[in-house]
Amino acid sequence: MPSEETKEVINKVLEVSRAAFHYAWIPAIIYVGFTRSNPTPSLIKLLSPLA
Amino acid sequence: MAATLPAKTSAIDPFAAAPEPIPSGPFSIFHRLSKWRTDLGLPYPGNTEDLTKEVKRTQLTNLLYDGARADLAKAMSMNPLFQVTHSFSLGSQTMPPTYSFGAMYGTEKSFLHGTVDHDGNVTSRWHQSWSPKSTTKMQAQSASSGVPGHSVAIFEHDYQGQDYSLNAKATNPWPTDMSGIFVFSYLQSLTRNLALGGECLVTRSPMMPSGNATSLIGKWTSTDKSWIASASLMPDNTLNATYWHKLSEKVDVAAELMMSAGSVRREGLATLAAKYDLRMSTFRAQVDSAGKVGAVLEQRFTPVFAFTLNGEIDHFKNTAKVGFGVQIESSTLSDEELSAQMGVPPPGALVI
Repeated sequence: MPSEETKEVINKVLEVSRAAFHYAWIPAIIYVGFTRSNPTPSLIKLLSPLA
Repeated sequence: MAATLPAKTSAIDPFAAAPEPIPSGPFSIFHRLSKWRTDLGLPYPGNTEDLTKEVKRTQLTNLLYDGARADLAKAMSMNPLFQVTHSFSLGSQTMPPTYSFGAMYGTEKSFLHGTVDHDGNVTSRWHQSWSPKSTTKMQAQSASSGVPGHSVAIFEHDYQGQDYSLNAKATNPWPTDMSGIFVFSYLQSLTRNLALGGECLVTRSPMMPSGNATSLIGKWTSTDKSWIASASLMPDNTLNATYWHKLSEKVDVAAELMMSAGSVRREGLATLAAKYDLRMSTFRAQVDSAGKVGAVLEQRFTPVFAFTLNGEIDHFKNTAKVGFGVQIESSTLSDEELSAQMGVPPPGALVI
């Protein structure tokens, strides 16, 4: 079994990666889709529901 | 010309026979067994998760909602698939109005999907195919408050064998105390029609004693695949039996019987459902032994505009709910761009 300190470090790392995932996931999909789409769409059409 | 001639008579070519040598020693038994198994020609039985897929598609359990909904989907690109959605819902008796934004990206190998709602809760899904037979899936939900217990992460691996399917799934695994819920399932075709399998669930938690539960699964598919019967028996004496029959190209019917004979309480629920696929619409109706009667109509007026109407009456509780929604799909592509991209087959990862 790992020591208490190691456990604390692992827990902290997992919590930080959860937060990073939380804020980065949607922008990451949009970035991947935006750069690899053919043809590249315009940003205003991407984000506005009305355009 | 002379060079191509020996290739045609490959039956007597000594090098053409070489790729399948018969190994000797302990591997020869394994080799013979696997060859014998290939010769049986048993079909792939499907995933254990998809055991009642046809029944669920006929039933309207997942399609019912109350209040009003609007979904605006915008396709930015068809290959690779890239789409954003804006979903609004309001007027529900039980839920506050919501808005959510979704983004989806799919190629033949990978599929990424994410939604974020107005409270900042994020859901995500990621499928990655390593080969046509093996796929890794990840699903996660992350609450904006960061309160532990509201976030869920599921890691899953699917392996599709020639006549069997294997799946391993870990829900909320936590490395420091090795806790989580782990599910292993296996389904094997025994004859052309019959497939049997099992599912083993292991729960490990620091608070509760860890436990495991094994359920048994059976599936019978008719030779022409027009009807499917399945049964699964859980260790707490719960039996779930389903029957699905495709009566014609347009009509599917499904029956489901759930019986629980636990030590605490005994109960049963029978559900009968029918689905009609019409030219521009789909109609589903369902009745169950708990006194609920429901129907869903999905009407597509034009290829980009669809309207759904659903209702359910609970006769025993004297309650009712009604919902309606619109789905609008638009594309930023011009007609020429669209037809140019449509010539390419749509990505297989589109199937969620």
